[in-house]
Amino acid sequence: MLKLMKYELRKTGFAKLVLLAVTALSELSYLLGVFLKKDQLMYTGLSVLIFGASLGLFYIGIDSLLVFYRDLNTKQSYMLFLIPKNSYQILGAKVLENGISIFLSGAFFAALAAANATISILYVGGLREFLEMVQKMLRQVHIVATIDWGIVIATFFLILAVWLLAIVTGYLAIVLSATVLAGKRFSGLASFAVYVLLERVMALILTQVYRVTGPGRLLAGPILCIFVMVAVMYAVTGWIMERKLSV
Amino acid sequence: MLECREITKKYGRKTAVDQVSFCIEPGHIYAMLGPNGSGKTTLMKMAVSLVKPTSGAFYYKGQPVGVDSRREIAYMSTEPYFYNWMSAEDVGRYYQDFFEDFSMETYHALLERMELDPRTKTKAFSSGMMAKLKIAVTMARRAKVYLLDEPLNGIDLLARDEIIRSILEAANRDVALVISSHLVDELEKVVDTAIFIRESRLADVCEVEALRIMQGKSVVDRYREIYGHGGEQTC
Repeated sequence: MLKLMKYELRKTGFAKLVLLAVTALSELSYLLGVFLKKDQLMYTGLSVLIFGASLGLFYIGIDSLLVFYRDLNTKQSYMLFLIPKNSYQILGAKVLENGISIFLSGAFFAALAAANATISILYVGGLREFLEMVQKMLRQVHIVATIDWGIVIATFFLILAVWLLAIVTGYLAIVLSATVLAGKRFSGLASFAVYVLLERVMALILTQVYRVTGPGRLLAGPILCIFVMVAVMYAVTGWIMERKLSV
Repeated sequence: MLECREITKKYGRKTAVDQVSFCIEPGHIYAMLGPNGSGKTTLMKMAVSLVKPTSGAFYYKGQPVGVDSRREIAYMSTEPYFYNWMSAEDVGRYYQDFFEDFSMETYHALLERMELDPRTKTKAFSSGMMAKLKIAVTMARRAKVYLLDEPLNGIDLLARDEIIRSILEAANRDVALVISSHLVDELEKVVDTAIFIRESRLADVCEVEALRIMQGKSVVDRYREIYGHGGEQTC
């Protein structure tokens, strides 16, 4: 499994390198802005960091779906399906690599945000000044917000889990289009419809779980429920691949 | 060893393989012959479970083919299939990571003999170089069954000799080799059994020597009989 994950990481490595390079540049811009007391440079760096973090996490998932599509629909599929590993192992490596990448990237951006906050507190002024600076920056891009950092962090991790579920559901839709719907008219459209339907059903389940557990257990209830749904999606996708997939 | 039992594969309304049965035994070199679209490639892909049959099955040592049989059956596809970012060295490392019977030493020796630089990216390879690379990485395995789909496609005459030499080095009493090709006369020199596929069905299985002695025919003659106009259907 680790060897499979190593190659999955290599396949999606370029997108991650681009993300890392953009992050490094914007961080440099931010730090220069802080140390040289150039507001514009600092705001630009911070804006690109926030934008890059959100878009980057989104792109990591999309790239993983594109790689999976290629792995099933081009001759490169032989590289995966000729080796002595079953579909559950092949898919499991993809889900794990993607899940770890998303959560590590999320944690990395969260740590970077905390580091930047500390630097700002030390060089720009106190915590209050820093938060005012962030609010000022948000106002500049016409976002007026009152920030509750506890909710922000909890929601951040919930979003990462929801995003992982969306990707695993995407795997199922791609497998459906390559197996039971293969060769049929509108197979792409039909698998997308299945994807939308599944997302809707899972959103309804999550809403119910959230209502039962309440916001006090935001990280426990819904996230646990999401991981159960990820496991179900993984099992169903692996089962279809094992029995129906021809590459 | 590798048995194909009444296997059928349909793609929508088109039947690619129709009720084919035969047996591959160790110690033999088989030629799988037939024109384009006759079902040779689909048959080979079903033997390594890349393609799932509509009915029937392939069995290896009495068990349906799958993860376990892939450890002992080496398949070489006719199309290039390596990841674009890989160099020839990366291809070797990939095989070493997943196949216990893969020998890096043999692989490097084959690359050297075929004059391929391990550092070159596969996306920079010509079709001839790619064919050599596929043979090198497949034959560097110590498999029990080798299924080689059109290994001589797009290869010049001198390189063909090199490839055939590399293939024959793997031949021994414990190993079965199945080679599909359009180049019937090239294969006739090296195979002992010929499997003829015509319009998705098994047309004939002939032992080359028996064909020569009993009927005074070559594999090429038999090929013409089967695929030429008015040809007979069985030996």
